[in-house]
Amino acid sequence: MKNTTIIALIGILVIGGALFLFTGNDSSQTNTVVGTGDLQKITLSEKNYNYYPQVLKVKAGQPVELTLDSSVSGCYRSFAIKELGVVQYARTPKDTIQFTLPKPGNYKFSCTMGMGTGTLVAE
Amino acid sequence: MTFTHFLKELNGNRVEGELLKSIFYSLITSFAILAILYFFKFRFIANFVDTYGLYLFLAALSYALLTPLIHQVHAYKQFSCMSGMMIGMTIGMIAGFLAGFYVGATNGMFIGSVFGMLVGICLGIWMGSCCGVMGFLEGIMAGFMGGLMGGMTAIMLLNDHLQAMAVIVFLVGGAILLCLNYMIYLEMKDAERQRQGEYLLIVTITAALTLATTWLMIFGPRSALFS
Repeated sequence: MKNTTIIALIGILVIGGALFLFTGNDSSQTNTVVGTGDLQKITLSEKNYNYYPQVLKVKAGQPVELTLDSSVSGCYRSFAIKELGVVQYARTPKDTIQFTLPKPGNYKFSCTMGMGTGTLVAE
Repeated sequence: MTFTHFLKELNGNRVEGELLKSIFYSLITSFAILAILYFFKFRFIANFVDTYGLYLFLAALSYALLTPLIHQVHAYKQFSCMSGMMIGMTIGMIAGFLAGFYVGATNGMFIGSVFGMLVGICLGIWMGSCCGVMGFLEGIMAGFMGGLMGGMTAIMLLNDHLQAMAVIVFLVGGAILLCLNYMIYLEMKDAERQRQGEYLLIVTITAALTLATTWLMIFGPRSALFS
């Protein structure tokens, strides 16, 4: 077999494989939860290797109490809001993380390793 | 000038003339295994292509670039210490990193790192032994480091363009492996080949690596993040 034939066959195999892969659908989605009450209580879960929901709506100037349920594991249990200097390790689902967003705006939250991320929307 | 000679040798009678065939046979082997498994088993798994497709595809391509190196090193048998250490280090590191990265992306850091270390150390030792104990040691160290780094990098990038990084990692790793093909040619262009090429070796190694990777990704243990 000539080298040009081999290169052509390798190309066909690679392109065929790539075409097969990229005919799939992207099913990414974002979900929102709204904090309620004077002490705004929110529970975060873990889904698709990230926090769920990823957008949390709360009122600015009112305290927020966040818990991480039992589905949250590993470094995701170490919760951080860099902008506010909030860093807390919630070892169990009973541990709470309390903070107050000072003014309306968007605040990024993540685990301390930056793997799981989301946004707090203060209104 | 020498690179032009290398390109000419891809059509020649030396072992370099068999490299393209090795890539082709390796790809055929991997794709045939994946196609058969997909037809009989994997197409019934929900979101199989979205979850595992890219990583299995890249793993097959990576193994197709690794096995010609094994073919080339196996043919020359003996290298100088400097070349042998470079061969052991490069193959151990890249094989460990790529295998660890792909499995780490679907199963978590622990199993990805363990698999990466296993592949990297085994191939690093085997290939590094072409120059004796120095290459052997270099292969162990590089496989150990590459496997750990591959699994860890995949996990760190889970929510930050992991698939794009998988493609980048493959392209960089693949370029390094091709450069190693060229380096071996440069070092050994005046030497005679010591062993005849056996394509059965390529097919066997590819099949073993593909089956191990596939089995681990689909049925292997997972970290809590993926359970």
